[in-house]
Order: sequence, then C-alpha cells, then structure tokens
Amino acid sequence: MNKKTLRRVEPYIWIAPSVILMAVFILVPICSVFQIAMNDVSKAGKLRGFNNFANFSKVLKSPTFALVLKNTIVWTIAVVVISTVLGFLLALVLNNKFRGRKIARAIVVFPWATTLVIQASAWNFIINTDYGTLNTLLMKLRLISAPVNWTPNAGAYFAWEIACGIFVTIPFVTFCVLSGLQSIDTSYYEAATVDGATYFQKLFSITLPLVKSSLTVATVLNIIYVFNSFPIIWTMTKGDPASRTDTLVTYLYKLAFYNSKQGEAAAVSVIGFLILLICASTYMIYTLRKGDDDL
Amino acid sequence: MKKILAAVLASTMALALAACGGGGGTTSGTPQTCGGSSNTPAPSTGGKVEISAIVAEYGQNTRTWWADFEKEFNASHDDINLTVEVQSWNDISTVVNTRISGDAAPDILNIDLFAAYQADDLLLPAQDYVSADTYAKFYQSFLDQSVVDGVVWAIPDLASARAMYYNKDILEAAGVEVPTTWDELKAACEAIKAYDSNIYPWGIDMTTDEGQAAAAYYIWNNGGDFTDADGNWTLNSDKNVEAIEYAIGLINDGLTNTDPANETRYNLQDLLGAGQLAMMIGPNSIPTYVADGGYSVNLGVASIPTNGGNPSVSAGVMDRFMVFDNGYTDEELAAITEFFDYFYEDTRYSEWVLMEGFLPATSAGGEIVAASDPEMAPWVEIVGSCKFYPVAKAEWDDVKTGIIRAEQEALLGGNVQELLDNLQAEIAG
Repeated sequence: MNKKTLRRVEPYIWIAPSVILMAVFILVPICSVFQIAMNDVSKAGKLRGFNNFANFSKVLKSPTFALVLKNTIVWTIAVVVISTVLGFLLALVLNNKFRGRKIARAIVVFPWATTLVIQASAWNFIINTDYGTLNTLLMKLRLISAPVNWTPNAGAYFAWEIACGIFVTIPFVTFCVLSGLQSIDTSYYEAATVDGATYFQKLFSITLPLVKSSLTVATVLNIIYVFNSFPIIWTMTKGDPASRTDTLVTYLYKLAFYNSKQGEAAAVSVIGFLILLICASTYMIYTLRKGDDDL
Repeated sequence: MKKILAAVLASTMALALAACGGGGGTTSGTPQTCGGSSNTPAPSTGGKVEISAIVAEYGQNTRTWWADFEKEFNASHDDINLTVEVQSWNDISTVVNTRISGDAAPDILNIDLFAAYQADDLLLPAQDYVSADTYAKFYQSFLDQSVVDGVVWAIPDLASARAMYYNKDILEAAGVEVPTTWDELKAACEAIKAYDSNIYPWGIDMTTDEGQAAAAYYIWNNGGDFTDADGNWTLNSDKNVEAIEYAIGLINDGLTNTDPANETRYNLQDLLGAGQLAMMIGPNSIPTYVADGGYSVNLGVASIPTNGGNPSVSAGVMDRFMVFDNGYTDEELAAITEFFDYFYEDTRYSEWVLMEGFLPATSAGGEIVAASDPEMAPWVEIVGSCKFYPVAKAEWDDVKTGIIRAEQEALLGGNVQELLDNLQAEIAG
C-alpha cells in the first residue's frame, strides 16, 4: 500500500471502531423496534409476521394517543423553552466575577448530578398534601393554617412535573451557555463600551450571536432528552389519572409492560422517533443556515 | 444540500444517543443474551439431565433460599442438574419473553400470569409433569384459576389475600363499631370525619399499581363479578356499576384520602401507620409493614364490608409454576416431576412460604403455617375461600388497565355506566 492510499484510508480506519459500535448498539435496536412495530406480536413476545401497519392504525385511532401526544408537546415545549431562558439568564449571572462564584457554579450542578428518580421523589415529598415539606414550612411560618392540596387536579400535577423538569434541565443549559460565554473575547465588549453601547445592545449584538451555536446544541439535545424523559413523570404520577399526565414514553411503557401490547408500544416509539427526527433536523437546518447568513 | 444531509445525520445520531441514554430506569439490565446456550433442555454433560428454572424474587431472602435449594436438590439427585435463576419482578417478564423469542424458554417458570404463554401454545398441561401425590395437595379453588379449555396449565405456588384493617383507637374515639355493610361503612366514615376532620376515614387506591383491586373489593362484595358463570365478560353489569359508583361516591363525599388516582396502597399503609387513616383494605403483610416503618398503632382486622346481604369476599392474588413445552424426553419430564415433588414436600414448602411471608397454596402447607404462626391462622382460612381475578382469560391485561382507566375517568367526573359500557364493548367486542 502506498502512502497516498494509506492517507486516504487512514481516517476511515480511525472512525471504524465508533461506526461499528454505533451500528451494533444503536442501529440494530432501532431496526428491531421498527421490525416489532410492523409485526403482529403475541402477548408472550412472539413475532407472527407483517400485519399491514395494524399497530400504527390502532395507536393512531385511539383517543388516548391524541391526548398523550398533546401532553408530550406541552411538556417538551414548556420544559425546553422555560429552562433555556432561565438557564441563559443564570449563565449570564455566573459569568460575572463575584465572590463565591465557584461555589455558586458547583451548586448549580447539583440538580444535574442527582438521579432523576430521586429528584422526582423529592418533589413528590415536597408537594404532598399529608406529609409534604412545603405545607409544613408554610404552616410553621403561619402563612397557612391547614394543609393545602397542591395537586387538586391532573393539570396541577402536570404543572409540578414540568416545574421539576425545568429545575433539572437548567444546569445543562447554563453550562452549555457558560462555555460559550467564556469563549467570547473580551475585546468585543471593550470596543463596544468605547463606542458607548448599552448593556442590552451588548447582550443582543455581541453575546447572543456568539453563544448561538452553544445554545443551538443545548436546545437540540434538550428537545430530545425532554421528549424522551421517563423518570420524572413515572415517579410522580405514572401518567395517572387516566393518561392526563402521560407522555409518549410513559404511555408506550404502559402499553408494553402493563398491557403486553408490544407491537403497539413499538409503533408509538417509531412515531416518537420520527417526530423527533423531523423536529431536530428542521431546527438544526434552520439555525445552521441562519448562522451562515450572519457570518 | 450537504449541510441538510449533515444536519439530518447529526440529529439521527443525537437521537440514537439519547435513545441509548434515555432508557434509564425502564428495562435496564434485562437483556440477558438470548443466544440459546444454556436454557434449552439438553440431556448433556456426564449423562445428567439438565433442567432450568426461572423464579420470581419475592423478598430479600429469596435468592439465598433458592441457592440452597439448588445445592440440596443437586446433591440428592445424582442424575439431575438443576439450574435456578432468580429474577426481580421488574425484569422477569422481559427476561422470559426475550428467551422465548430466542427459542430458549426455561423449563420451569414461576410468575403470576400464564394465559399469554398458554395462548401461544408454549405450555404443558400441569398433569403431564406433576405427580398425583403433589397434585392432590393443592386447594381445588386454586387449581381452578389456571384452567383454560378444561385443562389446568399451571400450579399455584403461593397466594395473598385481603381484608379490612382499621385503627381501633380512632374507631373507639369516634364511637363507631367496625362496619360490616356499605351503609355502616359510610356512617362510620361520616362519624370519624365529624370526630376529627384531619383523619381520612377510608383509604382507596385507584392507581395504575393496583386500581383493579379496588374494583374487585366493591364489585365482589356487591354480588357482582368480572365474568359470568360461563366465563363471559360482564364488566358493565348493574351490580358492577353500582359498586364503582359507591366507591367514587365515598371519594366525592370527602370520606377518603384526597388523591386515590395517585396514592398507592403503600402511601395508604403509611397514612394508616401514622394514624392519619382510620380504615383500609389490604394484605396480611400490613402489620409487619407498619411495624417496620417504626409506627405503633393499634390495628384490628375484619372482613371487607359488603352490600345487599352478600357474604364478604376477600380478594386473592395467586402466583404460579408452569412448564414450557420444550420437547422433553421421558427422563427430562421425570426430572421436572421430581423437582415439584421435592419443592412441595410439606416441611420444605411451608418453610418457604413462611420465609416469604405469604399464604400457602396446599392444605398441608396451610396446616403447618397456621400451627406455627397464630397470626397467620385466620388468613389461611381466608385464603382457602377467597376469590381471584380471572387471569386465565387472555384479555385480563386489557380488562385490568381498562377498569383502572374507567375508575380514574370516573374520578375526573365521567359517568360510570358509560365508562363500563365502553369497556365492555371494547373487551367483548
């Protein structure tokens, strides 16, 4: 083999292990899910052959699916948008020099570093009517005289789950943005200050355009993570009452492991995959193209 | 174009990565390889007959008990090599289903449900592998729970039953007798509420975990049932509707815990232990649970209240052993028979049941358990006569989740009659 060929082949050799690993551990399971979704699956898990997309039509016809899809969209948008805004603001604060900044940054990581199941259980413990710490605290402070039911209906439960989702997602956004902020050369700000720019002019004309790429990455990953998030909702409500707090992931889990409808569960999974693929690709194409125009 | 392609590729990869990372807490740890190596029966090594079993992990001591069992069994049977694999309740179905799809079903399986395996023609009839002596030990009512088309497909391993637990001190302070009928129950709840509005008089769990049990308590004690005598679904019968409406009525009148769609039986047991709940229906393990939680309340146990003069019915839950049809030779089948004879030997079996804290499925076991633990004695009596869910019917999974959904919809204001009519139409077609 001459040097030229070797040089051409070399990069492929380097990436071969990761490509093979991804093929085995990612593509195979994905194909397997597609296969199950297209098959008539017995309750004991036996594949009985192609069933003309019956799993998909059953899922799409079910009124619960529409409800669950709506919940998933509300859940994803609310958690991603609010946590991105709050995470961005927090990153701006943490980027300033102040006493105890290191400790503050460390504290921000805590929610991120704790297991989601533990986080969700803690939130459940806080808002519980009978023994919740929130009621205990408010009663000690004499702000309320009797325990308040913080979860009087399904909507309230869902709001608490979204709040918990936001709380655990903020650190991720903060750190992505913070890394972007730290890479901005201070001379831009100095030049702007000399030209008499206000704080908001600097924020919108320097900071935002320059952290956009980190923000894009954070948002795309967040959409995927939040859309697929299982532990918070499962720990807090299991999707109850009557699927009012179910998202696609908890719904498909129930279909697969409570109803033994693995074919339909796989179909829900495929639908979720396609939705995410479209959303994430559109978002990336849009932001990347816009980024090019700006530069 | 290249950029678009790159973006699509990148998001596919990110998605795939998220799919890998996002599965935490769901089924992690389950995919034990299904290469079909050790589980298919093979009259292999050293002329020994190989048999394999997958059993459910009931408690902290299950693993040790089965490890000892395996050792003793193999030591006393030179010609058999038994392998027992203990799986947690979270994983056991997934593990077994994975094995089945890899044509590597275990020989013996200990789990709750059998109908799905039977429907796929995967099981052997119980009388093919259980000796007449062992077969004669089981309560007939237990064997009846595993009958499909007149054939018994699985044998019971243990059971649990339900009764009403109440806080004696609260009932006494509120000046009420232990209720035996629905009318008395409602009156007692109102009296307790009047005595102390911070105490929940009655506990109801209509969660995804165990909402079907709530339905069973009221339906069965109103003379209703999930099926008729011929095994046809009767989910929307008048008695069933009346029963669910009664339970929902108690909740709407503020006589129960605040959130029955999200508060599981364990939450209720905590409230009972903390003295915040006066009465609830639950299994015989409640006193132990309450004591382990560090609570000390004065608990009493009584039959579940009934309506319309019907006798009180306890709800039973039963688990099973079944044998997969792996094309056995006579020696292999004999080895499996020997396994069950050895396991159901009276002393060994009752020791296991006592260790797990459940109720026995054999009459001899029942006598030993009742004699060794006076607190268990009334329960042994209850379990011999309690009613079970119709799990032999393959639609039970759908009925179970359907009835829970109906209860939760009713909690949100739905009409019970309509909800059960819809469920009946969906299930019975």
